[in-house]
Amino acid sequence: MPTRIPLLSVQSLRKSYGSLHVLDDISFTVAPGETVCLLGPSGSGKSTLLRCINWLERPDSGRILIDSQPIGVTSGGVVMNDQQLAQVRTRIGMVFQQFALWPHLTVLQNVMEAPVHVQRRPKDAVRAEAEALLQRVGLFDKRDVFPARLSGGQKQRVGIARALAMKPALMLFDEPTSALDPELVGEVLAVMRDLSSEGMTMLVVTHEMAFAREAAHRVVFMDHGVVVETGTPEAFFEAPSTERGRQFLQRFSEGRAVSAG
Amino acid sequence: MSHADVLSIFSGALTTLLLSIAGIALGLPLGLGLALARWAKVPLLNQVVAVYVSLLRATPLITLVLLIFFALPTAGISVGPVTAGLIALVLNTAAFNCEVWRAALLDLPKDQIEAAQSVGMGQALRFRRIVLPQVWRTALPGLINEMSQLVKLTPVLAVVGVVDITRAAVRIGAQTYEPLPPFLVALAIYIPIVYALVSVQRWVERRTTLREAAA
Amino acid sequence: MMNDFATVWSERGLLLSGLGNTVLLSVLAGLAALVLGALLSTLLMSPRQLLSLPAKALVDLARCTPFLLFAYIVYYGLPSMGLQFDAWSAGLFALTAYHAAYMAEILRAAWAAQPRAPIEAGVAFGYSGLGLFRRIVLPPLALSSAPVLGNQLIQIIKDSAFLTIITLPELTHAVSSIQSRHFIPFAAFLTAVLLYWALCLVIEAGVAAVGRLAEARR
Repeated sequence: MPTRIPLLSVQSLRKSYGSLHVLDDISFTVAPGETVCLLGPSGSGKSTLLRCINWLERPDSGRILIDSQPIGVTSGGVVMNDQQLAQVRTRIGMVFQQFALWPHLTVLQNVMEAPVHVQRRPKDAVRAEAEALLQRVGLFDKRDVFPARLSGGQKQRVGIARALAMKPALMLFDEPTSALDPELVGEVLAVMRDLSSEGMTMLVVTHEMAFAREAAHRVVFMDHGVVVETGTPEAFFEAPSTERGRQFLQRFSEGRAVSAG
Repeated sequence: MSHADVLSIFSGALTTLLLSIAGIALGLPLGLGLALARWAKVPLLNQVVAVYVSLLRATPLITLVLLIFFALPTAGISVGPVTAGLIALVLNTAAFNCEVWRAALLDLPKDQIEAAQSVGMGQALRFRRIVLPQVWRTALPGLINEMSQLVKLTPVLAVVGVVDITRAAVRIGAQTYEPLPPFLVALAIYIPIVYALVSVQRWVERRTTLREAAA
Repeated sequence: MMNDFATVWSERGLLLSGLGNTVLLSVLAGLAALVLGALLSTLLMSPRQLLSLPAKALVDLARCTPFLLFAYIVYYGLPSMGLQFDAWSAGLFALTAYHAAYMAEILRAAWAAQPRAPIEAGVAFGYSGLGLFRRIVLPPLALSSAPVLGNQLIQIIKDSAFLTIITLPELTHAVSSIQSRHFIPFAAFLTAVLLYWALCLVIEAGVAAVGRLAEARR
């Protein structure tokens, strides 16, 4: 298989709060078109890792490259200012656990906001694209509604459309369904599955094991700030190669059995 | 009280009104600027503003007006009563406004800004399109309350010689040896103005609660 | 500049007497306003409109009245109606009456925000009357309203400065006198500002201490 230049390259990332190593020398890559799921127990550092990638959190050391372009620290070793960070962030889309839609803007305005005001694309073209995106996530008829009137699942689908409107090279998902009522989870995962199958490069922090199993090309299992295992979903879920991986999966299926029973 | 007396009170009222409007117009943006300095944690400025706000909120306006009116000339800056009064009003109201704006800024969920950052908005754009449109609504009741407080403080200007409602009333009372009627007229002008502001504040608060309940 | 402050220091007797008057006046007015305000708040909360409506009108009136004007009216205006006050009495009366209205509203709001269940539990356990009030009702009410009451006390201190216009010898009056006799406006008034600030910080520290008490009991 021809080796492709990774779209995302994380090298030796470290972050500590005092004596607590939240990220302890993390390195991995994501190839273009790959969907990678970050799994692990709470406190493993997976959300922190995700938020370091677009520098919403600042790592203590290490390098992050998006399409060979550094983020956070320039190749000259200087920490980027707000303007430079903003520039790189336009290539990364993020979907938040609590949706983070802007409440004073309608659904359509939420999706159009950044392409118009950050990328300065012509309004009419952006509107057409935004409406198409909303069609895609099934919320075209809600385009003139304010976010407060939407259900959680609808808000999150708008959140995904908003991120996609920037035409990013990489999409980050920070526990996108954790704040949703169970019956609304499916509609969001369906959108994510479609996105993945269309070839979007995605890094997803999630507890939805079924989704990871079906949609991910690779899973990365983290615990206590360290990458414990990585591999294909089949390999990890069927036969985890580490003891911690085994324990995690066992606790997970036990939890499911208890709640199902 | 003669016809001319009433007229002079109303002329004083105009002065009061203009000074109030000027004080509010200058104090609102200044308060926002101070609040942003603290919110963005600008080094050094953050602490300076904190001290300024604490000091100004503890200082009686009358003491501040006297300080400015009498002390500035010794530094070579000559100020008339109107200027001194206006400076004192603005310095005072900006400190209170700062706290109102700051509370509103802190109330904004962090992920609102993170979402704006994640789509590549710079600081100015984030503030203009995402922070301010949400924050001004939260701040509004507190800001209107501060406006009504400012109006209630304007009689202080009479102490340094600004011919506002209060000074006009004092003058008439001294001339006619009947101090009560002009004061009551002055009161009759102030009360509706403040009441109007308080009513607007209550209306805004009611609408916000209703909107939040409906969402 | 340092000479100016030395001059202020030389007048520290007058300064302290002014500060003392400010503190005494504010504390007395604060306590009196609190008691009067508590009584007024029972009227505010009365189910009988005959009592609650006038009370509400009175509170609204006080809220819309500039204190300086009110002080003028009490000191200069009332004598024409036969009521003579000396500066101190007029000042104390004005501060108390004005702030009683604010206290009434504060206490009403604090009472409305109190959860009823613990009080019902007190009743169920046999508490009644004064005992119920003192041991069950008052402590949480006092703890929760401390910050707002503290703010109101600061407001009273600031309003007391207005009384310089009715020649009450409080802090601002003392400092104005020093200023006009020695021509040291900056040093004199700055001293006053710093003293007011100190009073405010003391009250805020007190409120913070009460807040810590309240936190432990949440």
